[in-house]
Amino acid sequence: MINKNFFDIKNVNFFAGGKVKVKNVSFSIENEGDIICLLGPSGIGKTTILRTIAGLEKINSGSITLNGNLISSKKINIEPEDRNISLAFQDNSLFPHYTVEKNIMLGAERNKEKKDKKLSLKEIVDLLDIFHILNKYPHQISAGEAQRASLARSLITQPDLLLLDEPLSNVDQSFKEEIQVRLKKILNKLKITTIIVTHDSYEAFYLGTKCGIILDQQLKQFDDPYKVYHFPNSIEVVNFLNRGILIPAKVTSKNTLENWDLGTIEGNFIKEYPKGANVQLLLQPEDLEHDDKSNLKLEVVDRKFRGTNFIYTLKTPSNTLIPVFVHSHHIHQHEVDEKFGIKRPIHIDHIVCF
Amino acid sequence: MSKNLNVWFFLSLIISLFVLIPIFTVFSSFFDDTSEYYELLKNTFLIEYIFNSSVLLFSVLVLTFLIGTGSAYLVSFYEFPLSNFFKWALILSFAVPPYIYAYSLTAFFENYGTAYAILKNLFGDGNYNQSIPKFDGMFGAILSITFSLFAYVYILARASFLYQSQNLIDLGKNLGFSKFKSFYKIILPSARPAIVAGLSLVAMETLAEFGAVDFFSINTLTTGIYNSWIAFDDLAFANRLSFFLLLFIFALFILENLSRNKAKYHFNIKGGFKQKEKFKLSGAQSFFAFIFCFFIFFASFLFPLLQMLYWTIKFPENLFDLPTLDLLINTLYLVVLSSFVLIMFSLISNYGNRVSNNKILNIFSTLSISGYAIPGVILAIAFITFIAWLDESVIKSFGLLSIKKIFIGSILGLVLVYFIRFYSLAFNGIKSGYEKINISVDESSYLLGYSKRKTFMNIHIPFLRNSLLFIAILISLEIIRELPITLILRPFNFETFATTAYISASEDLLEAAAVPSLFLILIAAFFIIISSKYILRDNDK
Repeated sequence: MINKNFFDIKNVNFFAGGKVKVKNVSFSIENEGDIICLLGPSGIGKTTILRTIAGLEKINSGSITLNGNLISSKKINIEPEDRNISLAFQDNSLFPHYTVEKNIMLGAERNKEKKDKKLSLKEIVDLLDIFHILNKYPHQISAGEAQRASLARSLITQPDLLLLDEPLSNVDQSFKEEIQVRLKKILNKLKITTIIVTHDSYEAFYLGTKCGIILDQQLKQFDDPYKVYHFPNSIEVVNFLNRGILIPAKVTSKNTLENWDLGTIEGNFIKEYPKGANVQLLLQPEDLEHDDKSNLKLEVVDRKFRGTNFIYTLKTPSNTLIPVFVHSHHIHQHEVDEKFGIKRPIHIDHIVCF
Repeated sequence: MSKNLNVWFFLSLIISLFVLIPIFTVFSSFFDDTSEYYELLKNTFLIEYIFNSSVLLFSVLVLTFLIGTGSAYLVSFYEFPLSNFFKWALILSFAVPPYIYAYSLTAFFENYGTAYAILKNLFGDGNYNQSIPKFDGMFGAILSITFSLFAYVYILARASFLYQSQNLIDLGKNLGFSKFKSFYKIILPSARPAIVAGLSLVAMETLAEFGAVDFFSINTLTTGIYNSWIAFDDLAFANRLSFFLLLFIFALFILENLSRNKAKYHFNIKGGFKQKEKFKLSGAQSFFAFIFCFFIFFASFLFPLLQMLYWTIKFPENLFDLPTLDLLINTLYLVVLSSFVLIMFSLISNYGNRVSNNKILNIFSTLSISGYAIPGVILAIAFITFIAWLDESVIKSFGLLSIKKIFIGSILGLVLVYFIRFYSLAFNGIKSGYEKINISVDESSYLLGYSKRKTFMNIHIPFLRNSLLFIAILISLEIIRELPITLILRPFNFETFATTAYISASEDLLEAAAVPSLFLILIAAFFIIISSKYILRDNDK
């Protein structure tokens, strides 16, 4: 059977030490060059999924195919060295007795014959800004530098599939975004299909063509980053993303609902609910607008300055805490215990309820 | 993938099982019939054996603790004249095996010995023999073993002191503790696992000691095993005695392993490691610290060295009579061959454990490193017992020629038993090296397209190169000093410096024993000096 997808992982289960490590995971990468980000908290199986794909763990059931070739199933397990899949580990996995340059060049030995894609040492060194550490040994460089060197070694192999496990977790925040931009550019240019595991949702939303949310060893949602953020498919995903709260509301018409504290809320439901249904409405910080003239005033209990914006936490009469996003150029700031106006009528572009 | 039963797994398993042969043999021989010697001995000497072994053990432990911990404390925390020199000079005592120390002690203090000669030269003729103390018998054995082995406690205690956080020391000061109170309330308890590990090694070596106790005619369990085989030709009884000794030694082995694991916490403190500033001693304190360390250095190394040198110069004919070149070649031959075999198979076994990650293999590997705890006498006799059984029960039943000559009294047999005895040294040394290689390094290698064999050859071996060199030096040091296995299993007319010294001494020709002893000390000291940096762990800082 010819599979049209570039990569497929179907119903994969993996157990170790009597425990479920990966539970019935399935997703596909349609096109070569796509970047997939797997997002989830620590210790729930993200890395294990990468290890099964790399062939470092043998799956108990399901199948993994790459480029139409079955590489893993219960019976078949192509050895890692024969898969042409590269994995950059989160922790330092550089060869300790070789310099950074030698480490990277060991990666270059693979796929030497691939002439259509070319990535020189210089390009990769510039990309990741590691020229100054080329002659150093792994123990002489910082964790962030080691991670970039490891990433360079994986990139230079130009594999069929590149797996990156928290590739920038140790990189300084100030430098991280720049590296993310460069990484995305080079992956797109070389059309290297990549799966990135991260717990940083901003990183996932920026880099990923698609994002998967992994919770409790399972893939809970797999979709475009925008949809994952704005249309989470379960309360678990909402709780994990932690970008909003759920408040009780009653559906009053096909485009309105009513909340005890906020009054009428209008917008487009992404899923139909019968009139009169009691639901949990997802309220994200950017859903409410600030308006000093509004008669709907709530008490400020906290204010977080985030550089580009403020996040106010407001307390409703029924003691629900609601986050509200305000641009940081907002002229006057509201102190804790002051009243804060919310613009009415409340309009939410897409209404997500559970 | 990692749980596969691959060729590495089977190779590792075979190596581990081979090393376990003596233990199986001793335990299985426990129920064999013995001669009347057993009854005779049970009623007469057995209590004496156990009593002597216990007295020896207890005394050596107390003395090595005091000397080893005391000297380690001084050189780790204080600055006094030559303190940096003593730091490594104190480990030179390893170059002097207990039996050579015993010869030196006797040679110096015996009637008309070196002490007498010195007094005569200084003060003229006189009846000095009565005034010169005699360090022989049990006391002599205790001193010989103590000065030869205290370095185990010194090295481990010093390493523990070295890695103690300065914060801990500062805490003591903060609480207003005196130096002495800081020592016994903070420093000593923190180093306890390391000290216990060192004392356990001393205990195992003491129980295994053969040369010195035999020279002083002290009947211990180890000499009992040797005699029951040599004098009464009773292998079964030798094995029965070994069984009792082994039970005791295994308890020590477990204690040592548990302590060693705990000791690791002190060596691996991550972050916050602050180089301790040594306290500069002055006046009387400085003088006494210097005298204490100098006395230990002198007594443990200079004294036997000078005594052997003195006799070599005084009786130069022994130097010319000795086939030095032959002995050197024989010794080096055994050293090179054994080191090569040990390192090669230990590497394979370690790699097998790493890639197989199999619980059964792990258990066998852990058991197989117990070889170092088993006295050489027991190993040699157990090996002979096993070969005899194999020959009688298996080989001859197939109508094949006897294999005894191939394994007993041959270089092959000797190297095989050395292999069993020193396997743990090589295995653990390589394991320590491997522990520094994160498993993700292997996985990265596979993902770069390297096979297991290529990963082993191109990634692991180059990384472990320095460790392997150090392990080879340690093995060499052990083999040069080793006595009972060589004595029992060496081919006819094949002598080393150790056996030549022993034979001369046992024939009461101590002067003749001086020359091979001197060579042995010098070669061993050379190996210690070139590896002192690793032994003292100064490079780990």
